[in-house]
Amino acid sequence: MTGPAFEPIHGRYLTVDTAEGPRRLHIETAGQGRDVLLLHTAGADTRQWRHVLCDEDLCKDNCFWAFDMPWHGKSLPPDGWQEREYLLTTEGYIDTILAVMDALGLDRPILAGCSMGGRIALQLALRHPDRFAGFIAIEASDFQPAWYDIDWFDRPDAHGGQMGAALVSANISPHAPEPDRWATQWGFMQSGPGVFRGDLSFYTRDDSLVGKLGEIDTTRARVHILVGAYDLTCTPDDAERTAAAIPGATCTVMPELGHFPMSEHPTAFRPYLADALARMA
Amino acid sequence: MQDILEGMAAALERRPHLLRLGRLVQDTVLIRLDDGREWFLHYRDGRIAHIEEGPSRKTPWRFGIVTDREALDAFWQQTPKPGFHDIFGLAKIGRARIEGDVLALVKTLRFHKEVLALPRGVRS
Repeated sequence: MTGPAFEPIHGRYLTVDTAEGPRRLHIETAGQGRDVLLLHTAGADTRQWRHVLCDEDLCKDNCFWAFDMPWHGKSLPPDGWQEREYLLTTEGYIDTILAVMDALGLDRPILAGCSMGGRIALQLALRHPDRFAGFIAIEASDFQPAWYDIDWFDRPDAHGGQMGAALVSANISPHAPEPDRWATQWGFMQSGPGVFRGDLSFYTRDDSLVGKLGEIDTTRARVHILVGAYDLTCTPDDAERTAAAIPGATCTVMPELGHFPMSEHPTAFRPYLADALARMA
Repeated sequence: MQDILEGMAAALERRPHLLRLGRLVQDTVLIRLDDGREWFLHYRDGRIAHIEEGPSRKTPWRFGIVTDREALDAFWQQTPKPGFHDIFGLAKIGRARIEGDVLALVKTLRFHKEVLALPRGVRS
């Protein structure tokens, strides 16, 4: 008799000391070898990375770590959340990532982040390159203004999750398999009230990277940008413009993918991620 | 165009999940082409009860999509090209404008996006 066929993902909880106080975070890990820290998109959680964490070949040489940001997934908001407006900031985001690395004892991991995770990857490439072995910035640019009203997603008279999911579906490629398309949207539908809006506040209003891309030193840590052709939010033009402004950075356009490549079409994304990881060697 | 929209309304009747999603939708949605032709989709309880061909200055509508026929044909391809794969994509690439009460659209966005995409299945 064989035991249960568990997936290789291990999930644990860890309380991390951030500048805003202790935060109890849900962290998932799988694999062995080089540490690779994975960041989810706005309004979502680590489930976006589940296919990567279950990839037997990628896990032979890479030890993946993914955590739910505070307020996201299985990481609870801080005490008193019911009277707070959640607004993510560049400083708070960076502090949380570095605090997680310190708590896990990660020494110069590769950082792979998507969307707002890609944006913060570029911020970290600018501000803390020596803390990382390299950056895979997915659907990432220095800045692009919102083509929507972020206040749509936190209203008392409508379901923010339903609206958020329906809006972000504009960024999913028609090549995405239906189960993966809808699994991706389910995550947005489950996002806590006001969380997607608070993430988008960081993503669509903080333009502090503009004009600073040329200061990123890719001789200290490499930068590779991946972008899906069907991404309306961070378009291939946005990503290629960004890569061109970073000396030594590289960029690959993924023709059949959108803004959530790791979850909307895992099999199509896999070779691009494998290539990006190889570039970090 | 009229036949495509009628096919869309008929396809909606065969989608129980859309009828459930849209059961509270009572709006009139305008589709206007750049050549001036217009159609009003009158929704009642999530069904397209009537398709009214315009132009009409007397027909109130909640929100509308102003685009061109070529862009709509590209939108209705089974596997649309980037930008043509979504109504907001059409707007982002400058091939459509969304007018009127956009928030009303956003509140019921999944329903309207799936209904407007139904001709993809009908035409394939």
